[in-house]
Amino acid sequence: MGFLVLGIEASAQHTDAPRDTSKVLNEVTVIGIAKKKIETELKMAVSVDEFLASSENISFIKRGAYAWEPLLNNMSSERSTLTIDGMHIFGACTDKMDPITSYVESNNLSTIDIQSGQEGSLHGSTIAGSIDLKRKSTPFAMERKFSGAYQSGFEFNNRQFFNLGNVSYSDEKFVADASISFRNAGNYSDGNNNEVNHSQFHKFNTSLGLAYKTSELSSVRVDAIYDRANDVGFPALPMDLWLSRALITSASYKRLFEDGLLRVWDSKVYYNAIEHYMDDTTRPENLVHMDMPGWSNTYGLVSRVNLKSDRYSSEVQLNAYENISIAEMRMYPQDRSQRTMFAYSWPWVTTRFTGLSTNNSWDLSEKSQLSFGGSVGWNYNRSKYAEFNWIFHPGAPQEKSRILPGLHAGYRLNIDRFNFSAGLGYGHRAPSVSEGYGYYIYNSFDRYDYIGNPDLKNEISYEANASAGFKTERMDIVAKVNYFHIRNYIVGKILSLGSPMNYQSVGVKAYTSLDYARLFNLSVTANYDLLEHLHWKGMVAYARAKDDQDANLPFIRPLSYQTSLHWMHRQFSVMTSMNGDFAQQDFSPEYGEDRTPAYMTLDVSADYTFKIRHYTAVFQVGAENLTNEYYSTYADWGNIPRMGRNIFTSLKINF
Amino acid sequence: MKKILFFITAVSLGFMSCTKEKTDYEAEIETVVTEHYEFKEAVSVSRQPYIISVEALNGTFYAGYNEIRIKVTDTRTSENIQASALTFLPILNLTDGSVGSGPHRYMPEYRADSSFFSGYAVFTNESGEKGTWDLYMGFQIGDDTYRIKQAVSVQKQLNKNLNMTAFTGKDGEQYYIALVSPQKPKIAENELVAGIYTFNKPSGPPSGVFPDPSQFSYSQVNDYTLQLDPRMPEPSMGNHSSPNNMDLKQRSDGLYYGVVNYTMTGNWTLNFIMLNKNGQILKGREVSTDFTPGIEGEKSDLFIDILF
Repeated sequence: MGFLVLGIEASAQHTDAPRDTSKVLNEVTVIGIAKKKIETELKMAVSVDEFLASSENISFIKRGAYAWEPLLNNMSSERSTLTIDGMHIFGACTDKMDPITSYVESNNLSTIDIQSGQEGSLHGSTIAGSIDLKRKSTPFAMERKFSGAYQSGFEFNNRQFFNLGNVSYSDEKFVADASISFRNAGNYSDGNNNEVNHSQFHKFNTSLGLAYKTSELSSVRVDAIYDRANDVGFPALPMDLWLSRALITSASYKRLFEDGLLRVWDSKVYYNAIEHYMDDTTRPENLVHMDMPGWSNTYGLVSRVNLKSDRYSSEVQLNAYENISIAEMRMYPQDRSQRTMFAYSWPWVTTRFTGLSTNNSWDLSEKSQLSFGGSVGWNYNRSKYAEFNWIFHPGAPQEKSRILPGLHAGYRLNIDRFNFSAGLGYGHRAPSVSEGYGYYIYNSFDRYDYIGNPDLKNEISYEANASAGFKTERMDIVAKVNYFHIRNYIVGKILSLGSPMNYQSVGVKAYTSLDYARLFNLSVTANYDLLEHLHWKGMVAYARAKDDQDANLPFIRPLSYQTSLHWMHRQFSVMTSMNGDFAQQDFSPEYGEDRTPAYMTLDVSADYTFKIRHYTAVFQVGAENLTNEYYSTYADWGNIPRMGRNIFTSLKINF
Repeated sequence: MKKILFFITAVSLGFMSCTKEKTDYEAEIETVVTEHYEFKEAVSVSRQPYIISVEALNGTFYAGYNEIRIKVTDTRTSENIQASALTFLPILNLTDGSVGSGPHRYMPEYRADSSFFSGYAVFTNESGEKGTWDLYMGFQIGDDTYRIKQAVSVQKQLNKNLNMTAFTGKDGEQYYIALVSPQKPKIAENELVAGIYTFNKPSGPPSGVFPDPSQFSYSQVNDYTLQLDPRMPEPSMGNHSSPNNMDLKQRSDGLYYGVVNYTMTGNWTLNFIMLNKNGQILKGREVSTDFTPGIEGEKSDLFIDILF
């Protein structure tokens, strides 16, 4: 009853937790207690983005201080499935200003499950893997229990003030979880102490979950998250966000079985609605005033069974959803009495997906384990106003169905202190709404307008991965590699016959398929307990990716490293970390990249745990980018400088 | 539990209503364009026992291209009949005393299946300060000849998608280009239909009873090519254009058919180059294809502006 969680789980745990590379998570049981916390070792009041950044196979495209787009295995977010508790949610912004990680808050999540490659196909077709944000859900208790936490803090660089609170109630029959959070931040300053205009943000998030035990072994649960961000600046884009709102709701039924092969059956229906309104009125340099509202509504069903016998465990999941994505643009002429200019950038695109997937693991012996799985999905797209797509692709079909198969297998072997694994994967993905049906979507990174192609072929990934690890009582070192050969890799190519629509752009690119692209990722992570209370941790990651002409692909992280020391003594703990990238030599000028120099930042923090009556409280103070380094990373949109020195303080009280 | 569920549903519904309304696409296209698709009587004249009536879209003559249907009705039987030698000639009486006309079909063709005469008229101006329009029509039934002169009112064409232009070509001839379709363009590939006409210079002085049709003779030009380059003139659009357009070529009905793609609503300029059957340019020139944000788009010396 449980499944293996690899990857980030290991690196995101507290150092004093057992350092298993795999861990049985009790999330699927009603009585289990989720122990994961959304915090990094350095900082306990992290945003969801900062938490994800501590994983070795996640990198980010940053358009400002808010709503970073997570890249898994150096692949953009279309290539991974991003879900919240298995629910599919799609951002409503054509410019990817709202990855779904921006619609949750750290105090309503329990953990983030990252699966690399085809192992992540449980939630739907994928190439790069899956990122599943798991919500907090308190288990039923034998006796009445109230618990909660309140956290407040201030970050000096961008004058961010935040308040996060969550409470839970549980008894034998009933559970309630609620959270609320406010974050308000002004503009941040870079390493030269210059203010980066339009980098402010304001976020409000609240969630409520109610569970009711319908019998000894079954329960129902309803959940809702409401998130609102307004006045969010995107310094790297020519416009900001006026307002985005998300309502994420679900109702689920879970049933446990005491004996037999079938252990858990968990089903959920969900609905989520996202609206996203950009605002360019704060940018007087804009020649054209433009409204760009976007809407994305999804409803769906997730149903999963867990099977377990002595040495065999299996999960089978049915995913079904329907999404409608709508995005408009309305340009205002300089003479405002004239007719406005209107078009859809997403012409009412419906996506339907139904898929069945399975992950299995079979313990061949005490030391070896075979895992295998697969998925088959049916993906359907329809563009209501297909005439928009016909302008560039005359005669393209209004509707398109695709079959998306996926397969993977892996073998894991433990020999004494060594462990090895190797795996293979094969999978398809359908083009995203923008890639298939986007219409003059302005990309401010390479300054091109992008046009979708409804006839794009499925992207097909052939994947191999391997890992080797060595572990003793005091140390642990793991090296992981993966290699993707992706056929029909979708990129934007310059379209000579196109003429740009957005006045900042320099041309038109059409999404087309390369014959193939290859991506290689390598990471080495290590832990060493220098003393009983002094721990060291380090990570090095390297990636390389090329297209079919042997040219570099964009947004591939150069050689990067993280190293940290953590010292604990009684109620005190001090932590220091250093991380950085080497210079980006293998950049891609064709996709608007330039060489990004190396950088290194140093962070320190200290915290003190104490008791206020019978409540535990933690006070933390620290600094990020202590040396006030001026830098921007390879994936910073428009080379916008990152935040300079940032002193942060925070207080957390658990009750 | 039920109460809680009800409460959550109510709260959810409250949040679910969108902050901004989505654009109604159909209504958006119609804001500056009215589409007429019904032929109604625009004018009728009684010559007992017959009534001759002229139908046009929306029952109105507009400046520019008008498809017309002429019916001759026998009031005794209330049936439309096939009169012979039916002629149709619009005459413009300019305020300075001179007269003119516009491209038209002098001998409308009888359509037996729907029992009307099919023709067209391109009114070069609306009725007003510049002048007024009269229709001169004639027909024969048996041995009787009927002649009619009827003043008509020509309204301004508010739908810019049916604009026209008149010009002198490099060959010294007078030409007219009038847009016929689409009345209501879409953000899409649109079939663009235009009539191209020329004035046939009279070979001699007027003779007979006014009006002498040989003085007001026009014909559709044949086997010309109208090269098309649509662009948005609005400065902020930086001379934006669209892909996959097709030049206008003549089809069997005499009109010229091409393809124009409009990528968004707003003002567009259709820049033309008119070539005769030998491929010689009679009017128009290529315009800059550069993307020039902030500068109003340059126009060819042969163009028609549209708006939708």
